[in-house]
Amino acid sequence: MEATALEDVLDSLYDAVVAGDSEAAVAHTTAALEAGAAPLSVLFDSMIPALEEVGSLFESNQIFLPEMLVAARAMQAGMELVRPRLADESAARIGTFVMGTVAGDIHDIGKNLCNVMLEGAGFEVFDLGVNVPAAEFVAAITEHRPDAVGISAFLTTTMPELVTTIDAITAAGLRDDIVIVVGGAPVDQAYADRIGADGYAPNAVSTVRTVKALIGVS
Amino acid sequence: MAIGHEAPDRPPIVLGVSNATGIKMSTYRALKELLGVDAPDEYLYDWPELGTAAIDEATMRRLHSDVRGVLDLEPVAVRERNRTREPHSDYVDSWGSGAREIRPGEWFPMLHPLAEATTIDEIDAHEWPDMNDPSRVAHVAAQAERLADDDEYAIIATPWLLFPLERAFAMQGMDTFLMNLVLYPEFAEALLWKIQAVCKQLMGHFLEALGPNVDIIKIGDDLGTQESLLMSPDMYRQVLKPIHADWIEFIKARTAAKLLFHTDGDVFPLIDDFVDMGIDILNPIQTSAGEMSNLEALRDRYGAKMVFCGAIDTQRILPHGTPTEIRAEVRRVVDILGRDGGYMVSSVHTVMNDVPAENVLAMVDAVVEGPR
Repeated sequence: MEATALEDVLDSLYDAVVAGDSEAAVAHTTAALEAGAAPLSVLFDSMIPALEEVGSLFESNQIFLPEMLVAARAMQAGMELVRPRLADESAARIGTFVMGTVAGDIHDIGKNLCNVMLEGAGFEVFDLGVNVPAAEFVAAITEHRPDAVGISAFLTTTMPELVTTIDAITAAGLRDDIVIVVGGAPVDQAYADRIGADGYAPNAVSTVRTVKALIGVS
Repeated sequence: MAIGHEAPDRPPIVLGVSNATGIKMSTYRALKELLGVDAPDEYLYDWPELGTAAIDEATMRRLHSDVRGVLDLEPVAVRERNRTREPHSDYVDSWGSGAREIRPGEWFPMLHPLAEATTIDEIDAHEWPDMNDPSRVAHVAAQAERLADDDEYAIIATPWLLFPLERAFAMQGMDTFLMNLVLYPEFAEALLWKIQAVCKQLMGHFLEALGPNVDIIKIGDDLGTQESLLMSPDMYRQVLKPIHADWIEFIKARTAAKLLFHTDGDVFPLIDDFVDMGIDILNPIQTSAGEMSNLEALRDRYGAKMVFCGAIDTQRILPHGTPTEIRAEVRRVVDILGRDGGYMVSSVHTVMNDVPAENVLAMVDAVVEGPR
């Protein structure tokens, strides 16, 4: 494929992700890879800029949760094809991230959006899911040795689990090895400061910014 | 009183009577103990998995609650099936949606019968609940008539979740339905209208049973998030507003009661739409969410057009504040929203189990005592 033709495919992939069209995202990702595009180029020249655009539209209230969710889904569909080819391209990774919603809480929409944005930004993300006991966070940190850990709580009644989880991580001697970012509807910066988290993010877009700043990558 | 926009000697207090203005069971037990009230643990809608207390009369009086509630019930067969099911197994309601116990006593609504559906055929094929089952509303007429005869309190009626968008979330899962609004808009819209048609059957029976013995009908749909709207104003106006407008028209054609609309989060950009549709009372005024913190702007722009109900923060003030801080916050809110009489005091959504009983009393006592 001609270079310009390849650029067209990457442009189309960008548009498909922004529009939240999963089928088109898969088709254009396939076409780009078959045409010999480097997986890193598919990621950095198309998908990541697309997701950044989506994030910026979301933050400026030009799109809302429904559009954001379908864009994230389209991104994930394309990533399924790119991810296996990135295994030996460690350059694609800017960090490792462990994510979960605390015990007693099953809210996951915000957490899942964070995962997509983080993966889109170049993190390897291990999602522990919802209703995750503190011990599971500790086990996952021990196993994956992440740079950062995200802990989510959506209810005022499950916010104390953020403390329990951070305490368990500290007790396991892992606290100094990682940065901890917390989020969820009732959480704010003051609460994050009070419980000894390193950072707080009100939404998926700012999660990426916050984590990157905390671990010192741009 | 407040719903007539006459300045009362103190703003009315709306506690108990519905889930969104209610108190969860642990806090209710602590309240009873603190007050020395001996009353059984009973649940709103006769529904333990919801976890919200049906507050006894002595406690309601001590809370100075100026309202009493009338609710519907699930059909007797559904209640019986759930009551006799294997302990800790999934709770499933008459719509086919349900809750799972993720920790002892904590139930989350996570069972969605139409999670995979994307076609109108699947809507048609679903077994929709029988809203003509008389056991849903058999108690309503007598209960409302007794409350009206007592003539002490305003009567609020809240049939459970006759909320089109939130019921669609219950049927599909919130993220799935939000995506379907974009991916399968015809399906999503058809699902909302179908839900509303089913809701109308029950609301018709419910309003008929109430007759004139009701002051406020509570409906709603959560449209805001912590930071902004759940969907764009355009999508709201195109898809959901016609449904809400039709719903409100249906209700207002059948009752003279005021209409209270419950909608969480930062919904400031939609309040003109709410006024358009004839919403009389807006709840819960989630002051922790975005622009809804701007109570002066809310009052100045909309205070003459609607009554506000709620605004006492449950994310920080009620669970984490001291009684002194709570009194100060209640005075602040009453001073702003209550200036022209268009304010009813309530917590922003359910008083959760993390709120100390003393704090609930501080909230209501601050209203009753007035400025000191």
